[in-house]
Amino acid sequence: MFAYVVRRLLIGIAMLIVMTLITFVLFLNNKEAAVLASCGKNCTPAQKVEIAKTFGYDQPVVVQWGKFLKGVVVGREFPDDPALRKSSPQLVTQCPPPCLGYSYKSAALVRDVMKDTIPVSVSVASVAFVIWLVLGVLLGIIAALNRGTWVDKIIVGSTLVIFAFPTFFIGLLLYIFIALKFGWVPIPAYISIADGGIFNWFMGLLLPAITLVVFYMAGYVRMTRAFVLETSTEDYIRTAKAKGLPARTVIGKHTFRAALTPIVTMAGMDLALVLGGAPITESVFNFNGLGKLAVEASTQYDLPINIGIVVLLSAFVILANIVVDIAYAFIDPRVSVK
Amino acid sequence: MTKYRKSLAVVAAAALSVTGLAACGGGGATGGGTKTLYYLTFRPTEHWDPQRMYIGRDLADSSRLFYRSLVSFPVSEDVTESTTPIPDLATDTGTSSNNGKTWKFTLKDGVKWEDGKAVTCEDVKYGVSRTFASDVIIGGPNYIFSYIDAPDYKGPYNADAKGQAEYDKAVVCDGTTITFNFSKPWNDFPLAVASLRSFDPYRKDKDQGDKSNYAIFSNGPYKLKSAWTKDKGGTFIKNDQWDPKTDTVRKQNVDQIIFQEGLTNEIITQRLIQDRGNDQYAVTDRNIPPAMYGQITGDVAKRSTQVDSPFTGYLVPNFNRMTDLRVRQALMMATDQKGWTTALGGDKSAKPSSSIVNPGVQGYAKNPAFDKMGDFAGAKQLLKQAGKAGYPLIFTYSSSPTADKAAAALKEGWQKAGFKVSLNPLTDTYYTEVQKRNLKSDVAWGGWGADWPSVSTVIPPLFDARVNFQGTKSNGQDYGNYNDPKAHKLMDEASAAALADQPALYAALDKYIGEQVAYIPLDVTQFYMMHGSKVTGYMQTAASNMYPDLGSIGVE
Amino acid sequence: MSVSGPQADTPTEVESPTTDQGSQIRGMSPRQLAVSRFRRDTGSMIAGGVVLLFMLLAVLAPILTKMKILRPYTFNSDKLDVNNGSVPKGALGGISWSHPFGLTPGTGTDVMSRLIMGMTFSISIALLAALLTVALGTVIGIIAGSSGKWVDAIIGRIIDMTLSFPQTLMLLALSSTLIYQLERLGVPKGNFARATYLILVLAAFGWPSFARIVRGQVLSLREREFVEAAHVFGASQARIWFKEMLPNLWAPILVYFTLTMPAYISAEAALSFLGVGVKPPTPTLGNILSDATTYYDSDFAYFIIPAFVLATVVVSFNLLGDGLRDALDPKADR
Repeated sequence: MFAYVVRRLLIGIAMLIVMTLITFVLFLNNKEAAVLASCGKNCTPAQKVEIAKTFGYDQPVVVQWGKFLKGVVVGREFPDDPALRKSSPQLVTQCPPPCLGYSYKSAALVRDVMKDTIPVSVSVASVAFVIWLVLGVLLGIIAALNRGTWVDKIIVGSTLVIFAFPTFFIGLLLYIFIALKFGWVPIPAYISIADGGIFNWFMGLLLPAITLVVFYMAGYVRMTRAFVLETSTEDYIRTAKAKGLPARTVIGKHTFRAALTPIVTMAGMDLALVLGGAPITESVFNFNGLGKLAVEASTQYDLPINIGIVVLLSAFVILANIVVDIAYAFIDPRVSVK
Repeated sequence: MTKYRKSLAVVAAAALSVTGLAACGGGGATGGGTKTLYYLTFRPTEHWDPQRMYIGRDLADSSRLFYRSLVSFPVSEDVTESTTPIPDLATDTGTSSNNGKTWKFTLKDGVKWEDGKAVTCEDVKYGVSRTFASDVIIGGPNYIFSYIDAPDYKGPYNADAKGQAEYDKAVVCDGTTITFNFSKPWNDFPLAVASLRSFDPYRKDKDQGDKSNYAIFSNGPYKLKSAWTKDKGGTFIKNDQWDPKTDTVRKQNVDQIIFQEGLTNEIITQRLIQDRGNDQYAVTDRNIPPAMYGQITGDVAKRSTQVDSPFTGYLVPNFNRMTDLRVRQALMMATDQKGWTTALGGDKSAKPSSSIVNPGVQGYAKNPAFDKMGDFAGAKQLLKQAGKAGYPLIFTYSSSPTADKAAAALKEGWQKAGFKVSLNPLTDTYYTEVQKRNLKSDVAWGGWGADWPSVSTVIPPLFDARVNFQGTKSNGQDYGNYNDPKAHKLMDEASAAALADQPALYAALDKYIGEQVAYIPLDVTQFYMMHGSKVTGYMQTAASNMYPDLGSIGVE
Repeated sequence: MSVSGPQADTPTEVESPTTDQGSQIRGMSPRQLAVSRFRRDTGSMIAGGVVLLFMLLAVLAPILTKMKILRPYTFNSDKLDVNNGSVPKGALGGISWSHPFGLTPGTGTDVMSRLIMGMTFSISIALLAALLTVALGTVIGIIAGSSGKWVDAIIGRIIDMTLSFPQTLMLLALSSTLIYQLERLGVPKGNFARATYLILVLAAFGWPSFARIVRGQVLSLREREFVEAAHVFGASQARIWFKEMLPNLWAPILVYFTLTMPAYISAEAALSFLGVGVKPPTPTLGNILSDATTYYDSDFAYFIIPAFVLATVVVSFNLLGDGLRDALDPKADR
């Protein structure tokens, strides 16, 4: 088991390294735009050359990538141009490991810019995750148990219809009606637990969380329903029923156990994705999370931040993959770990 | 100065106030007798570094609150008065000699930085020198390059002896007197000093290059309370080292000013309409979105203001491709200004304009060359005469949801005249693309605001190929690649003339390039803004680029 | 949140042990069985009908526009209130007999015409992207499933990596630089390049999920007699891939394709909202809807109508896909 975990982690790190290279190639293929985005509108060719040098954009992408990796492991110094660092030590910014880069636009380390946004995204994501998981699985079981009845049809139908509306539309609708027109909840805003206590924290992020719930829940309802239905026809469930076990025990112990595996898979991956911020939901509700930061960095062409976020989120997903696979071994005895 | 750009995520809906939540202990102006003014805004400030600033709003706000200049514009609603510099750090508005090539200013005594040290001539000299470090001090205006002859000077961070000597010759400190020795006449130099922050003093021991981007070291009435956070904002409190006796421009109207960034126009407007809690003490630089005009009625309307902004929108035909004057004229005649302004949101968003020069600029005159705009039948005939019916036209512009609609309106009009139009909307590559001299585009949109209230910062920066063409690829800001010796001659005559003679010469220049259809005027962007009910002394002045003037505004 | 790929497909490292998709019912041919099952499913039949109607509209829209029956680009500036942010005069966003869904604020174009024409563009983009996704997924999945351990492992890692990228962010952040590169490669500027970008990147991030499914199918097919027989008779690898395997994959291909369509139509809308994608005046369901979102207060009809049209399209595609899946493979419900 230990060896398996180590092997998976090593493969994960190797994947991440390759992915950072791909990211660098994709993002830095247009050097001119990268320079101009920093340079402002009346930028002379001579200035462009100097800026490229200061930021290190004048070097091949692979070299820039190498410096980035090195920064993650041992840290690095900015500006990138060694001559400038030497002549003017007052300009130097230290970026200790793990260094994800320096954003000239924010005049701050990428890590520091991201740091403030992570609690926001994690708060919204974790509340949404709990709601959609509980609600989704519950509704899925209810639908399966009432297969073919109006209960089933309403549950399946409504999740399908709500899911068909774009997230930004649902979010806006909630915002305008629930918060503004009816005033049922306070205006959505992120208030940290330290600032406002758990109640205000929860109420502040309720609507964005519900928006995410609407987006993610449909899949859980459908999947739980499908697996409960499918496993209920399997031999061992039939045997259990024939043995005269009460329906609740059959569903709780046998059917649900079998359906758990795919739900854990899906939940693990979705959690990793949503922890990394929800660009659309955060934009709609004006939450300064990782997702909104990503949107802003894209609009402002803030490459170091974009790259930092991509690397961080990729690492999240890879890690989640590993965790899910390990969790598998515990839940499903049929999956053996080499 | 740079246009404000509309965010992609403008959505964000109504949303009233985050107040009570965000500012615990709040209580606006009344709480504990602390008078607080709130400044709600969307677009994050890119630079608070005086030598890097180039956004109209930031130039104005920093001048009113914490950066003093040799000369400044006074607080006044009168356009002429508020665009005429008065002494600030200097004892007078400067004396020029040598035909406008030499400028001398003497510093006042008793002006201090926030740590109590005196503002010296060396500080001013150091501040001006920073612009030359174009690898670190990025984004600011660089007019200085064409007036100071120091080709080897690379700024204070890695200057060699030769470059330093060149700079020391051009900018000379003698006690409290600073002398600028320019390589050519700069008659409206005081206007530049008052409008931009490039010529402001900077303390060498506080300079950390890019790291100082959001650091503010004040010599004005307010100073930053704690570090500025991009996308959130910061709080300014009174600077006890500021002595009102040395300052005839600024006041300490309130105890603190809180800037909040990252709020969308919709949210800001909704909050100001509701006028609850701290929002009663709030002003903004953001426009009311057209979709919300219907809510601005009755008492709410009394707290709204509409003024001409310093910005104009215009089109430039590409002279590398549209070589036939008749085709350019047909394009101009078929340009549907009304469709354009309607799509932008109507009269409260944009007004049709008749020159690239904004009406707020000294020397503005209606340009008769554009009287025939909107004559679609005439345009069709002219295009036919030129033998170019069905001319394939590519229109490049900076995309936003409203700009897309407005571009569609222009397309409609041009097609009526027989052009075959395709649109080329660009987002963050817009500036990169339009500055390419070989761009495959026939007409491009541009937006401009004068850097200081003189035509000399409108037409020459946009149409003088001699300063704009850099290398073989870039056209600078001459997006139409307009390169006309006759226009150059008129520009030189105007800039060399005495200040009083300049308006007439610039009007003639404008008329000439209008006849060449070097540009087609579109609109004067409108500022239509709300403010809270307990804000006092509210005005939007030319001195503050038509944004709320923080030199005047206070709270009850 | 993720903006592409049918959301039921979550990346997994381990093949789900409960889905055995190899089973088929004997007696009637599988195709006959499927058709008869589908016919009995009224809901899916209706959904299929609605999808056909939308497809027909999408095909006819350009012709109707040529004939001036639809007028998606005609301005009616005179019907707008310039003193009120250029929203249409009259109640409900200017709804009338000649403009059943009202007018677009700012331009006064006919909303119904724009929505129908928008369907043409949205469906075309989704269709091309889905075709590309399924094609890539099929080819790569077959190769992975029937090749040796090494090729399979490498493809597996590529799939893992592609799925580990934060998609929405990549689609957003890469748009300007990659569209620029496409234009340099000679793709016509503007909306054509933007649409091409959408199609390419949606497929680039969409294929891995399907390649996994195909690989699973191929692994189980490989053990079946007819494939083994082909091997014994010395058929070439390519022949086995495309003559023996492919015909047995049409069911998952059809189902996956039908479910990918609505996912991509939604993705186009989400990306439009973030500013990526086809720009007006060319209408797409996404760019109409994201324009409409600012008018929730001043023109509620315009705010709500495009959303419902989009939702109807997505729901009917999804129902059709579900129905097809139930009919083709009743046991595997996901």
